[in-house]
Amino acid sequence: MAENKLYFYSSSPHVKSKTSTRFIMGNVCIALLPTLIAGTIFFGWMALLFVAISVASAILSELVYLLICKKTFKYFMDNFDFTSIVTGLLVGLSLGVNYPLYAGAFGSAFAIIVVKMLFGGTGKNIVNPAVAGRIFVFISFQSIVGKWIVPGGELITGATTLTNLFQNGFSGNLLDLFLGVGLEGCIGETCKLALILGAIYLAILKIIDIRLPLIYVAVTGLFQTCLMGFDFNLFLPSILSGGLILGAFFMATDYVTTPNTKIGNYVYFVALGLVTAGLRVATGMEVVSFAILLMNLFVPLIDKFIRPRPFGFKKTSKGGGK
Amino acid sequence: MKNSLKNVAVSGVITSNPTLKLVLGTCPTLALTTLAMNGIGMGLAVTFVLIFSNLLVSLLRKVIPNQVRIPAFVLIIATFVTAVRILLDKFLPVIYESLGLYLPLIVVNCIILARAESFASKNSPLWAMADGLFMGIGFTLALTAMGAVRELLGSGAIFGVKLWDNFSIAFFSSSAGAFFTYGVFIALFSLLSSFIEKKQKDKQMQKLLDSTSTSEVKQ
Repeated sequence: MAENKLYFYSSSPHVKSKTSTRFIMGNVCIALLPTLIAGTIFFGWMALLFVAISVASAILSELVYLLICKKTFKYFMDNFDFTSIVTGLLVGLSLGVNYPLYAGAFGSAFAIIVVKMLFGGTGKNIVNPAVAGRIFVFISFQSIVGKWIVPGGELITGATTLTNLFQNGFSGNLLDLFLGVGLEGCIGETCKLALILGAIYLAILKIIDIRLPLIYVAVTGLFQTCLMGFDFNLFLPSILSGGLILGAFFMATDYVTTPNTKIGNYVYFVALGLVTAGLRVATGMEVVSFAILLMNLFVPLIDKFIRPRPFGFKKTSKGGGK
Repeated sequence: MKNSLKNVAVSGVITSNPTLKLVLGTCPTLALTTLAMNGIGMGLAVTFVLIFSNLLVSLLRKVIPNQVRIPAFVLIIATFVTAVRILLDKFLPVIYESLGLYLPLIVVNCIILARAESFASKNSPLWAMADGLFMGIGFTLALTAMGAVRELLGSGAIFGVKLWDNFSIAFFSSSAGAFFTYGVFIALFSLLSSFIEKKQKDKQMQKLLDSTSTSEVKQ
């Protein structure tokens, strides 16, 4: 079209980055692979099947929605940007392997159809689809929530490492907690090493700003230790137990549901940490996904009050100016 | 607009369905549709109040001064709501229990006030009663359908009859599920009613075309 002309008119931006949604989301998929492998090692092949069904359900939901909207299969293939794969992966990884297989499928379908597509597709959702999908499963299938499986098969009810932390303090091996050996929980949240490897990969590719999730994790840990009587031995256990690492690096950093400005992002992640720690101590439960969902709703408000300063703009004494 | 029984019926149940088209009476709709039976109970109670309050408002429409009409309407509605409460408490205590707080709240239910204000105070008593009846039917149908869907998905039962065990999506029993179901119902209903309206328009056009062609033949 314009290639053969010597010059052509276009509006700004003139310099375009080569990174596309497809590139970013593809790399997030790659970054989640170690976690998936670790989950499969700890929880067996059922874990892999569970995640696969969640992903398949997510892709299928998007396809079905587009077909209902009278789009063609070709349109779906041309515009497929891996976001539904990431959503499906995150929903699958943030649920337990003892859940019935349909739970993951329902969660993904809810995340894609209700949270993403009904609001206008990729980039238009007001809350993170994966978080909403997980919470949908949590409040929907209450009979199985609260029971976690320990690698090896034993089903335990109630007290997880995190809930134990509130009642009895920490007793256990920090290294086991870090590696996820013999730890109960969701498929993707137990092995922190794999999660951190993925996060470093994303940070090197500059897909996520590693400082922001680190702020979130640090604020959560510090505020939680302060609330629990300034016992700083609890700092590491409280950031390593539960789904904080998974939530911080892969769920809270979603581009769509974080503020647009740098200062806004700092405000957002500090507030997220305070909310998470406060709710954790108040309820004695793992609340990372609920905290992210809650703070997602504040993002438009943060964007409204913290605006980027246009280039060349000077502060005037009389209330701003244009 | 000329009143006909068909017009009143169609507008009450479909084209201006109080719940799904006018979005009135949202509070009981969201709170009570966890069970299909609740929908029927609430719907019938509202229908009863609607018919008689419409009748009385219509009878008194020339007596009530315009300035104090709202308090007068509320007084009339409250009379019938009290009657319904006493009757239900005496004869159907189960339904009375399950409707709970929402029964006295019918007094400020905007469907009833809206019909009194926009229809009953401008029409003769018989038409007002018919309007109340069909509006009530529209409300009852919408609430029962929503209640049935939410009961089926939320607790695997319909009208209290257990259909299957071990599978339920508790989301639909919660208030978030209420909003979700309500939204889906409004969307589907708009689709349906726009389809019906389109068909009616096509019919009218066809009639118009037929009549012009026959008149041409006569000439």
